[in-house]
Amino acid sequence: MTVPVALQPTTVGHKGGPTLLETVVCTLVVALLAIAIFGPLFAPGNLFRSDIANSLMPPSATNWLGTDDQGRDVLWRLIVGAQTTLLSAFLVVTLYSLIGVAIATASAAGPRWLDEGLMRITDIGLALPSMIVALGFASAMGPSLRSAVIAMAITGWPLTARMLRGIMRQTMEQPFVAGAEVLGVSKWRLMTKHVLPNSLDVMIVKWAGDIGTTVLVLASLSFIGVGAQPPSAEWGATIAAARGYVSTAWWTVVAPGAAVALTSIAFGLLGDIIQVRRDPSLRGN
Amino acid sequence: MQAFRAYLWFLARRLGLTLLTLWGLASLVFLMIKLMPGDEAQMAAGADASAVQIELVRERLGLDAPVIIQYLSFLVRLLHGDLGTSIVTLQPVLADLEKVLPNTLELVFIAMALNLAIAIPAGIVAAYRHGGMFDMGSRVAAVMLGGMPAFWLALVLQYVLGSVWRLVPISGQHGFGMSSPMVTGAPTLDALIAGNFEGVLDALYHIILPAAVLAALFSTQVFRTLRAALLGVLRSDFIMAVRAKGATARHMLVHHALPNSLNPVLMLSGMQVGTMIGSAVLVETIFARQGIGAYMFNAVAQKDVFAVLGSVIFTGTVVCLVNLIVDLLQLLVDPRIRAAQLGSQTR
Repeated sequence: MTVPVALQPTTVGHKGGPTLLETVVCTLVVALLAIAIFGPLFAPGNLFRSDIANSLMPPSATNWLGTDDQGRDVLWRLIVGAQTTLLSAFLVVTLYSLIGVAIATASAAGPRWLDEGLMRITDIGLALPSMIVALGFASAMGPSLRSAVIAMAITGWPLTARMLRGIMRQTMEQPFVAGAEVLGVSKWRLMTKHVLPNSLDVMIVKWAGDIGTTVLVLASLSFIGVGAQPPSAEWGATIAAARGYVSTAWWTVVAPGAAVALTSIAFGLLGDIIQVRRDPSLRGN
Repeated sequence: MQAFRAYLWFLARRLGLTLLTLWGLASLVFLMIKLMPGDEAQMAAGADASAVQIELVRERLGLDAPVIIQYLSFLVRLLHGDLGTSIVTLQPVLADLEKVLPNTLELVFIAMALNLAIAIPAGIVAAYRHGGMFDMGSRVAAVMLGGMPAFWLALVLQYVLGSVWRLVPISGQHGFGMSSPMVTGAPTLDALIAGNFEGVLDALYHIILPAAVLAALFSTQVFRTLRAALLGVLRSDFIMAVRAKGATARHMLVHHALPNSLNPVLMLSGMQVGTMIGSAVLVETIFARQGIGAYMFNAVAQKDVFAVLGSVIFTGTVVCLVNLIVDLLQLLVDPRIRAAQLGSQTR
């Protein structure tokens, strides 16, 4: 069935097709994901072996981004590191989103004392500097990528919990929820099948943007030394390992940092774009 | 009277939240200690302690008592200012950290001033010339800077501005023979106290790059917030009235639009102070400044877990207290925030 043109929903100043920025950002995100998933399959086998004779070589035809202090190819290590970095970031965001969803649901559905208690705990979590606390957890569990991921999952959930609880409370005011209640739907089913799915769309925008900040914090933790350890190709660990060579071989430091920046910018913008697409009145801000 | 009561109620709530947060922080750190793999007494006594020494430490820390007693005695020790002992320097963690705190705070203070000095004018121009070249350019710059890792930007600028162009010192906090006697621990302030004018300039010369790195990263948020708020205000009716009365653009911006847009900026920059302390930790180590970050970095490198955890408590506490002070200051300074905060408390 065709809808008359006059009845088609229109958004002010927007002609429907993707803008240049949207195309660029989406291509970038897809490319990053493809590199992270398939890139390591094609990697040469000697990425973790040193070849001192070829160390700190500037970018050339054989090594597009040069080699590091161990003579390993910088570009291939970035590609392999993309998988480690992005996979860890996805894991972190998934884990703390699950914690956040659980706490928000319990808070929105539960009795007043539970809501009060959980929200005070969330307040504490929001007030503490999350990177410092994550640093403490990772350091106590023994510095490793796994520790850093767990530490960031433990410290990342409060904002999700706070935002989602508010949205769920609003959703619960909607008539269809009252309708479901009248029909005798159980509390558990009401929350998981009706309220939660109708509250999640704002959060999905947040989580897409969160991948970007998570990559940043993860790299920071690895740089301090409580995250991924050498010879891991994780980007933060790579920068930490190359730190001493910035004046003799700038490419060893610039390349992984640019990768972190590019990824964090791309996912951050992806979050913004989805948000503007959902609510065109935000355009231009 | 009503207002006074609302004020007291807000104060009590805010103080209560701070105490609750500090207790939460302490509990988290206790959890971290319990998560440590291996024998806690062994870790606290150091790698080459004898069996007798380990038993002594176990007894001193009360590690054979039930966990709940351990937790309570941990809290009591914290209240007495015992943040643990470094297994490397054998010094109490608190004594070491107290010495380096002013250094970090000075960096954050100067970075915050730079942050506002960059972001506020940029935000005003971008919003006023909405859609123009400057607006586009600064928004792109804000997006790019916002995604950069602080420590990486520090490394790259240190290389380019410090080693290649030699505009600023590569690292350290004062030039050779330029140090002033330590009074506060903050280099610029110490030089000022010593009346060493050259020393002040030298200290500023050394702090400018690390502070600029922090400022650049944090100014992106201030810029975006101010620009969005100003855009909203500039579209409102009263601005049209001001313009219709023939006010100059400058007068309209400075006296009418800006005062009505600064509220979210004040709120944001208040929150930024706390976050910036966390980022300063990273930037400091790169420029070899003797602040909290250097202490933490060394502790991590030397696997000195108790020193790391002590600095986590210390930094967390400093951030909480700074946030409390900023909130109270804002309450005093800005009547609109006062109205919003107090209003929400009485409702």
